[in-house]
Amino acid sequence: MNARDTLARIQALPAPLRPIRVLNVCGGHERSITELGLRSLLPDWVQLIPGPGCPVCVCPEEAIHQAIQMALLHPLTLVAFGDMLRVPVNLNKGEANSLAAARAQGADIRPIASPLEVIALARSLAPRPLVFFVAGFETTLAPVAAMLAEADLPANLFLQLAGRRTWPAVEFLLQAGSSFEAMIAPGHVAAIMGANEWRFVAEKYALPVAVAGFAADTLLTGLHAVLRHALRHEAALDNAYPAVVKADGNPQAQALLAKAFDIVDAPWRGIGSIPASGYRLTSLHAARDASLQFPVAISGHKRSGQMPAGCDCAAVLLAHKRPSECRLYGRACTPESPIGPCMVSDEGACHIWWRAGERVATA
Amino acid sequence: MCLGVPMKIVSLHGERAFAEALGVRREIALSLLPQPWPHPGDYVMVHVGYAIERVDATLAEESHTLWQAMEAGRDA
Ligand code: SF4
Repeated sequence: MNARDTLARIQALPAPLRPIRVLNVCGGHERSITELGLRSLLPDWVQLIPGPGCPVCVCPEEAIHQAIQMALLHPLTLVAFGDMLRVPVNLNKGEANSLAAARAQGADIRPIASPLEVIALARSLAPRPLVFFVAGFETTLAPVAAMLAEADLPANLFLQLAGRRTWPAVEFLLQAGSSFEAMIAPGHVAAIMGANEWRFVAEKYALPVAVAGFAADTLLTGLHAVLRHALRHEAALDNAYPAVVKADGNPQAQALLAKAFDIVDAPWRGIGSIPASGYRLTSLHAARDASLQFPVAISGHKRSGQMPAGCDCAAVLLAHKRPSECRLYGRACTPESPIGPCMVSDEGACHIWWRAGERVATA
Repeated sequence: MCLGVPMKIVSLHGERAFAEALGVRREIALSLLPQPWPHPGDYVMVHVGYAIERVDATLAEESHTLWQAMEAGRDA
């Protein structure tokens, strides 16, 4: 079925008395929804809401501060996915409050787009230490795990991990109370981990959930499935991305993840600690742990664990507010001069909405 | 970060391959894929330089359309 027909089928669904809120937990989904203009194409009773799908946004301040200090105080090169460089942390005036600011003060900090680049750079810089500061979800951590399994990985390559798992954040939101009636699960996370990882949403929390990809047809198929179930008060798991996602995911990727990382409780910026949501290097790779090799003292946070003053990014990540409901959206805060991480990252909802031309501040 | 790009395998060498999408050729890693690995001409979904899953050609075409639309939106 093509996207146009699926859209017509959604438009033909009977309107319920109360709106149905459909959560997405992936910056890629939020981008597709926004760029395709789905919010204006779907009936009014369908509310598509972005959630915690931005790994850079939820990266704890302490981790960013640690990376900044490491790069300033130790003779090393630090690399991170480009999004991370401009994310601000709450520090006292005059201190480098982002990786970009630290670079301006002379630290050797560079953006990268792939672990393959990191390996090549480590080789070319050897023996100078290279620290790879990693934020990302399962889709990014699996490639990092594959990198760690490479036979001749340079000895001067170290990691600082701030990776997060997606489903524990959804369970955290579900336990905190109902802020949505259905959800779309992230297609490429599920390509790695399997559609079945999302079954708990249906079985434990009695809500419909569909795994979807990023093009119009798969996304609309997933939306149609969850809306139809929600209208009938049914809970079910659907896979609207079977071309890429298998029920049990990619076994090779999962084996590499298990070999590289242990699962630990981890803090999410603006949200707090979420059980079993983070990664730590296994003992096999302990010698590559940058925080042990290059210790720094980090203290002096003005409002530790928080978003910048006046920034509603935490409420946006918790699906309590939309970007345009933030008082700073488009006024003090734009992609050119971002205040919070949700306006910095390509996967931040504020950034996505602003880039797509959403200009009405509703606060 | 999680969007991913479908790419067509051009050639294989060890755990790496050269792959192409929208006229751009890049080296990618295959080590996340279960064996047997894809052949030249096959499509894979690539995320941060690593193939995470095989995909079929139709899906690749559709994703490219979306990708181009997004890039166009971004420049606007
Ligand atoms: S618009 Fe800016 S200040 Fe407001 S929530 Fe988004 S990132 Fe934070």
